[in-house]
Amino acid sequence: MASLVITPRQTSGTTSNWMIDASLLSALSTETNIIANWLDELRRPSPTLVGRTEAPTLESRVFDALAGAKVLTSQVAMHLEQEFRNRLFRQLDSLHETDQWEEGDEPLDQSSFQTFLKAILTIKPERRPGLGLSQTGNLIAAWTTERDRLTIEFLPNDGVSWVLARYDDTDEPARYAGQTSVSQLVEGLAPHRPEHWFSHAGKNHEPSR
Amino acid sequence: MTEQPYREPPITEAVIELRFAAPLETGEVEKVSAALKSLYPLHQPVKGVGVHLDVPPGREGATTAQPIETHGHKLSTEDQTRIAVVWPAQFIFSQLAPYPGWDVFFERFCRDWALWKRTLSYRKITRIGVRYINRIDIPIETTPIIQQEDYLNIYPHLPPPLDPVISYSVVAQVMIPEIGSILTLNSSSAPSPLLGHAALIVDQDIAKERDPPQNDEGIYALLNQIRVKKNEIFEACITSRTRELFKPWQA
Repeated sequence: MASLVITPRQTSGTTSNWMIDASLLSALSTETNIIANWLDELRRPSPTLVGRTEAPTLESRVFDALAGAKVLTSQVAMHLEQEFRNRLFRQLDSLHETDQWEEGDEPLDQSSFQTFLKAILTIKPERRPGLGLSQTGNLIAAWTTERDRLTIEFLPNDGVSWVLARYDDTDEPARYAGQTSVSQLVEGLAPHRPEHWFSHAGKNHEPSR
Repeated sequence: MTEQPYREPPITEAVIELRFAAPLETGEVEKVSAALKSLYPLHQPVKGVGVHLDVPPGREGATTAQPIETHGHKLSTEDQTRIAVVWPAQFIFSQLAPYPGWDVFFERFCRDWALWKRTLSYRKITRIGVRYINRIDIPIETTPIIQQEDYLNIYPHLPPPLDPVISYSVVAQVMIPEIGSILTLNSSSAPSPLLGHAALIVDQDIAKERDPPQNDEGIYALLNQIRVKKNEIFEACITSRTRELFKPWQA
């Protein structure tokens, strides 16, 4: 009997060594890097790594951010609908049209995007959110149902910050906010009936309280 | 008809790689990359850096280090899932998820390889490799312990005092005499990008280094033979419980 204990996600020293060793910084997943490093010690495999150049300019950083986000998406693409992926990429491309940016705006933070993917794959919302970027590059998703609004900012390293406003037949909304790890997001939103934003049924049939 | 039996195939990356006996000249790398640009809208120059250390015996203080740079080009589609990398001594052809099936993957390889040859003519091939990396995302229902043998037929065997395992990696090399190739098979645990999941990796690298075919007919025949083998090997490595995770079309 062989059993495997699942521990919280941790950064592997192997990955770090690989990243240092490889001027060929991989555009691929952490998992791929780990495997490649292990196998390289045995023999030279058919490689999975592809290199990248340094990115000193905004244009290059935007390119890297978009490319990185798409590669990260590919790592979970088997769990995503094609239509969702296509729309997500259109949204990300649109967010990175830098002619509308202000000085100091940052492209998408990769760690924030990883948090977003985890949340989306957990929530599996029927209704797709509008997306935005914070000035520091965190991804922000917003769902609106009538006047009610739910906004989630996806922070690096699995953090989420959310705020919602609901109008209960009044002119003044009730506002709630929270900050949790992404693994507790569903639990944190549960008292506020998030299906009101996430599901088509919630949007179409549930009256605003 | 494609061979893809699963709705959610776990393939995170598929690679075909050709290695050449002699590296291309810089101008040749540029030339073939330029030709491939018509097929891939995104392009990045890439650089590999190695270091040659010379340590004279008994004179460690006189050690010298000489950087060795290699320049190539990475070309990719807008969604970054289809990638071609031109290095002086390699042509690398990669598909990230979602995996479209062998037929589509192979057809793209044939297209690109034909363009490579039209641009540069014949080069002696020293190695042909095919690599498939699969990540199996396993939901953790109630306990943070999974039994590897429930999901894989390749895993480490440890004596009881060393159980349970926190993480592992096992590698085996096996001859595949019918196609004169060597399989390097890796299985390991890995973090899953999904919340509430663990992940196990099955990574196959099947390569022919001894007398690899030099013409298209031979290359394509070998690749199709490798394809059949890699499917057999993968199915032999997983259990029926794992297959259910991939949502078979026939279920």
